[in-house]
Amino acid sequence: MTRTTRLLGLTAALATLPLAAMAEGELHIYAWSDSIAPDLVAKFEAETGIKVTMDGFNANEDLLTKLQAGASGYDLVTPSQHFVRLMIDQGLLEDIDAHDLAAYQAVDEKWRGQWWDETNEYSIPLAYGTAGFTVNRDQYKGPVDSWSVFFEPTEDLKGKIAQLSYPDEIVGAAQLYLGIPFCTEDSAEMKRVYDLLAAQKPFVAAYTSDNIENRIGGGEVAMHFWWDGNSMKTRANDGAPIEYAMPKEGLVGWLDSFVVPKGASNVENAKKFIDFMSTPENATAQYNYYGHSAPVKIDTATAKYTPENAPELFPTVKVEFSRACSPAAQDLVTKVWTQLLQ
Amino acid sequence: MSWRDFRIWGLAPAWVIMALTLVLPIAIVVLVSLSTRGAYGGFDWGLSFDSYAKILFEEDWDGNLAFTPQYLAIIGRTLWLAGLTTLICAVLALPAAYVIAQAPARWKAVLVYLVTLPFWVSMIVRVYAWIIILGNDGVIEKTLRGLGLVTDMDSLLFTNGAMLTGLVYSYIPLMILPVFASIEKLDPALIEASHDLYGSRWVTARRVILPLTLPGLMAGAVLVFVPCLGAVLEPILLGGGKTMMMGNLIQTQFGGGRNWPFGAAIAVTLMVLVMVFLMLNALRARREVGHA
Repeated sequence: MTRTTRLLGLTAALATLPLAAMAEGELHIYAWSDSIAPDLVAKFEAETGIKVTMDGFNANEDLLTKLQAGASGYDLVTPSQHFVRLMIDQGLLEDIDAHDLAAYQAVDEKWRGQWWDETNEYSIPLAYGTAGFTVNRDQYKGPVDSWSVFFEPTEDLKGKIAQLSYPDEIVGAAQLYLGIPFCTEDSAEMKRVYDLLAAQKPFVAAYTSDNIENRIGGGEVAMHFWWDGNSMKTRANDGAPIEYAMPKEGLVGWLDSFVVPKGASNVENAKKFIDFMSTPENATAQYNYYGHSAPVKIDTATAKYTPENAPELFPTVKVEFSRACSPAAQDLVTKVWTQLLQ
Repeated sequence: MSWRDFRIWGLAPAWVIMALTLVLPIAIVVLVSLSTRGAYGGFDWGLSFDSYAKILFEEDWDGNLAFTPQYLAIIGRTLWLAGLTTLICAVLALPAAYVIAQAPARWKAVLVYLVTLPFWVSMIVRVYAWIIILGNDGVIEKTLRGLGLVTDMDSLLFTNGAMLTGLVYSYIPLMILPVFASIEKLDPALIEASHDLYGSRWVTARRVILPLTLPGLMAGAVLVFVPCLGAVLEPILLGGGKTMMMGNLIQTQFGGGRNWPFGAAIAVTLMVLVMVFLMLNALRARREVGHA
């Protein structure tokens, strides 16, 4: 009996803990996994006394679903451009008058007033880059100037290619290769995308977005669908014998932004964090940590990655940004994917 | 308040919890499955059976509504893999549980504890462990190479075998424990009696031990089969995401597919399948009792 009472008391004490912590300032961030420099978060906490909690996602879809389900509990999230558009249209974001923030002054002119947030009311960009494919040079010696080597590989690459576990950028890349516009509603065109991916499937070892560094860096596969900065860091920091391809058909572009979900309880803290991340010093630290291009002003003297040592970040081919597809177009994408993995 | 009243009202907290955490969520899922989809995910309340029709009939690439076997194929594969996992678990669990039950009392507690030990570790970590074991240059490949048994081998990871291994590994404790419980209750005198009546070891196992441990096996089968139907991790991490199971299909529809009602319709279908399985099981159990 006394033991039960004690247990109950303990449970009650534990249950009140989060409440006690809420008295101080808090900030709940949901960002791409490992995308924000932990040192900067610690610095922000030390400077402001705000307690930051950080969760990671691996796909825009996961973030969107969480926000749509309501009451996500997050104050700051970092979707890509097409998802920023969807979230604004669906009323999932808080209007934070982003153009009045100090951070906005740091944003590169070319990323202002873009189609995903024309009036700059909701978002401040955090990082941008491309999606393409990386090859392991110990496993594959051939050319990397076209998507054809990835989508229509030679016989010796059977089981040596890996894709991501989500269709978003893969379908985009296939469309670039076939010369089909993003978000097409023409089912005959999407049938061609399906045929291409279905023909590639026997060569694919896995459709997975986890643990890519080891798989391509260690040579478990010869080619992997991947992102520019991740590929660059694995090459530059870990010495992996890999190369990020510059296919002549183009790369799929992305730009992630800070946005505040509707109904967030710590909007002011979220704004503070956005401003904090956009000072030249911190933005440079973030750039050096994350290894993806910075859409805000950075200190070029202390920036670690340059066109010479990180050509991955400075594409020499056209970059086409993913768009927010209409329901009809999205259904075709899902159809391609479901039929591919049925 | 009389004792009789209390027996009814005393359960109120339990009823409230059941209603809030079981009935209400299921009702919401059913309602979502009957709603119409929102353009960019989410849903609008409504009454439509389109999502259920879509499981069987969908527009083909030419825009004609046609019978589509793809979702049935995914459902069929899920049932097949869950069934196979259950069978393998049963075959492995029976001798394991028997050994535990025969062990000295001091060891018994330790062995049961060891069976439950994996549950203390996160499921994702346990599945990742299998990536290290099965992967290229993993434990198995290195061992086989070291022994000179193979020189060049195909990857063990990202195969249906890897997925099945992961499923069996994840859920086998749920089979061992109930089987162990029913073997422990087994009266050794019955086995002796079988031998006294010239029953061979095989006859004893088949006619005495198996029927008496059947309730445990059936309970274990339910505990393994049902979560296997909803498995998401193993197909992605060990199977390489090359073929979908129902769990992955539902995830796709709620995520990138932006078709919540269809995702909910598949979830309801999955639930109905589970309920049919459990009901058949319960009917069978009742018949057994009737025979006894």
